[in-house]
Amino acid sequence: MTTLYNFKQITPVPTGGDFLDIVLSKTQRKTPTVIHANFAISRIRNFYMRKVKFTQESFDERLKAILDEFPKLDDIHPFYSDLMNVLYDKDHYKLALGQMNTARHLIDQVGKDYVRLLKFGDSLYRCKQLKKAAMGRMATIMRRQKDSLAYLEQVRQHLARLPSIDPNTRTLLVCGYPNVGKSSFMNKITRADVDVQPYAFTTKSLFVGHMDYKYLRWQVIDTPGILDHPLENRNTIEMQSITALAHLRCCVLYFIDLSERCGYSIKEQVSLFHSIKPLFANKPVMLIINKIDAMKIEDVSAEDRQLLDDIVEKDKAQMLGMSCYTDEGVMNVKQTACDRLLQARVDAKMKGQKINDVLNKIHLTKPVPRDDNPRLPHIPEGALTKPKYDAQDPNRPKLEKDLEAEAGGAGVYNIDLKKRYLLESEEWKHDIIPEIWEGHNVADFIDSDIQEQLDELEREEERLEAEGYYKSDDEELNSEDEALQSTANAIRERNSITQIEARLKTVKNRPTLPKTAIKRKVSEVADHFESLGLDGTEVENRARSRAPKRARSASRGESVARSASMAARPSGGEGSVVRDRTTLGVRNVKQKLESEKVRQLSMRNANLHAKRGESDRAIQTKMPKHLFSGKRKSGSTDRR
Amino acid sequence: MAVRAQFENSNEIGVFALLTNSYCLVAIGGSENFYSVFESELGDVVPIVHTSIAGTRIIGRLCVGNRHGLLVPATTTDQELQHLRNSLPETVAIQRIEERLSALGNVIACNDYVAICHPDIDRETEEIIADVLKVEVFRSTIAQNVLVGSYCALSNNGGLVHPRTSIQDQDELSSLLQVPLVAGTINRGSDVIGAGLLVNDWCAFAGLDTTSTELSVIESIFKLQDNGHSAYVEDMRDSLVDTYA
Repeated sequence: MTTLYNFKQITPVPTGGDFLDIVLSKTQRKTPTVIHANFAISRIRNFYMRKVKFTQESFDERLKAILDEFPKLDDIHPFYSDLMNVLYDKDHYKLALGQMNTARHLIDQVGKDYVRLLKFGDSLYRCKQLKKAAMGRMATIMRRQKDSLAYLEQVRQHLARLPSIDPNTRTLLVCGYPNVGKSSFMNKITRADVDVQPYAFTTKSLFVGHMDYKYLRWQVIDTPGILDHPLENRNTIEMQSITALAHLRCCVLYFIDLSERCGYSIKEQVSLFHSIKPLFANKPVMLIINKIDAMKIEDVSAEDRQLLDDIVEKDKAQMLGMSCYTDEGVMNVKQTACDRLLQARVDAKMKGQKINDVLNKIHLTKPVPRDDNPRLPHIPEGALTKPKYDAQDPNRPKLEKDLEAEAGGAGVYNIDLKKRYLLESEEWKHDIIPEIWEGHNVADFIDSDIQEQLDELEREEERLEAEGYYKSDDEELNSEDEALQSTANAIRERNSITQIEARLKTVKNRPTLPKTAIKRKVSEVADHFESLGLDGTEVENRARSRAPKRARSASRGESVARSASMAARPSGGEGSVVRDRTTLGVRNVKQKLESEKVRQLSMRNANLHAKRGESDRAIQTKMPKHLFSGKRKSGSTDRR
Repeated sequence: MAVRAQFENSNEIGVFALLTNSYCLVAIGGSENFYSVFESELGDVVPIVHTSIAGTRIIGRLCVGNRHGLLVPATTTDQELQHLRNSLPETVAIQRIEERLSALGNVIACNDYVAICHPDIDRETEEIIADVLKVEVFRSTIAQNVLVGSYCALSNNGGLVHPRTSIQDQDELSSLLQVPLVAGTINRGSDVIGAGLLVNDWCAFAGLDTTSTELSVIESIFKLQDNGHSAYVEDMRDSLVDTYA
């Protein structure tokens, strides 16, 4: 069973002073420390910027870790959030975390500001002063958080020691006045070792213990005693009990001490029950009468008895007596409480959706008898009396496995398939029967009168046919059927032709165009429609109406690029167009000539000196390392 | 009395053998270890026969049978048929049937009184099943699977069906088969019950991976032990519901 919340994993929160030491010494360790005034100023600036930035990031990281690790009261189970409210005061807790967050933002801001200032630092000295100021301000901000950090550390330590209560599991919750024997009961049924003393408020916080019942793990929670006064007056110790009662799905065991040795009268105890009753809504409640060794239920005065009976009747609580001192009834209480809770939980789950997946696997279906045929099992004689095979027994029957081992093991031993044949005579077992005899399969003549039987069948068949046994009433449907058949055949034929055509069309040794890209003439479409027996003229008309109007050709100067590209295109057919790139981006012939002239002019100087141009072939590396190192001799591979 | 076994490193022993109340068929393997598992449990009580069907080892999936008879597919050779006839007692009828769904063990599940079969099985085959195996035949599915023989194991005492069979389906099947049923798994969670489990009225063989929980379910539903089979269902029902739902 895994618990949802693990408050034991929170990393310790350092005190204010330690916090600073940790971060600053980390900066010292993890950033370069040597700098000279004669370094380039950009290097000096970077050196200090890095220090400031690093310090700011370390602060940020540590503060964020605190914020992430501490549970957020709004996100955790209401039981835990209420318990934390009771124990640590929600406002205080939130304020402390809020301050951590504010400090983080402030430090971020300081870091950012000083990095910006450092960009303008003009000397080593000034840069250093800026860095010093930045760190000083960060330290001041952090030093102010001293109290919050100390508080958070305390909370962490307390949280880590809280019992790990799973709010959703099967839980028995023990509650009642102080000193009525709650902790004694807990010690009796679980292995928890709760302190038991003869004075009130021995138990000051929640304790959890575990036990096993019905193959399940049960959680038992021992709560501090509660007194009967209004909620506002309750102290922290009592409030823990109230929180547990309010938020855990559990079976409530309300303890009553009839002997009044706890120091509270039966009347008081009953009135407490009534005042915390609202917390018991939708939970199975048990009224546990403890210390029956001192005072039996039967011996109680009629007046008090009436009070108890009222509870049992009106609040549907079950009353059980027990004594932790003599162990009388303890197990009974435990089992009854567990059974009631389990029943309540199962009932609730039965209403859910998930239940069907589980139920079908644990469902035993018993058949409803449909006739009075007994359908008894059939167990041959000797099956149940057969002695159990024992591999150690020297007189054990010899198995096929043993024979195999004697005859040389698997792969060598050849099993005799015929030795167990059940034939009339033992001698026949290994007779050889031919498979084929005079051109006939022997197996076809297992029956000596097979020919006669076949003839008989044939005759019967003929007779039946003559009698019209096979002419059933589907003759009437014939004409309809035939029509259907012929249509089906036509469709099938058509399909096969289409398939063949498609195959012929698609198998060609060049890239294929998607169907949408293929241009089809309107007339082709129309023809296709006609062939399908539809009217093609409508398609033609629609296509005509949608086609772009032919415009009168205006006299426009043909661009060079366009004419060139048109010229380069081979007549008809698609193909990739190779454009002359010298013409790209020039508007007309005149411009092109001009650009040509400029180009040649620019190359003149280089050409005069026979310099290498960028269009010359160049081999960047004469001997690429990877091709000439290693064990392969030269000549075994060519670099191209 | 449920035993774990393995056929040449395969847990699907129901593929390589067929077990009924009056005989047991075992595939011919590389060694005799698998055969001897059956021999040690059933030797001298019922005949245990080495055989192949159509030259293959997957005899458990290809043929189906009960105390009264054995059905083999059309692919069975004449020699195999002769071998089976010689090896099985006279009281067991053997019939080779022409059926398109030739893996008879997958499409038919039966005990000595009732058989359920694939919904698409031939009508003639259905009649042959009824005559040869002396059973009532019903067409049915198990958890929406048509391969009824693969997804259940039956005996005259009880039956184990596919783990996803709904309660309603279980009730229907149970009233057809007239035996108690539970949904369960074999071989550590495998749902092909028929392939992992061989069972008759007094013993069962399961794949080697089968867990002890699975075995205890098998032993109780097939009444292989003295205690009643409802124990775990009633005792632990609430605990199981609370844990898994």
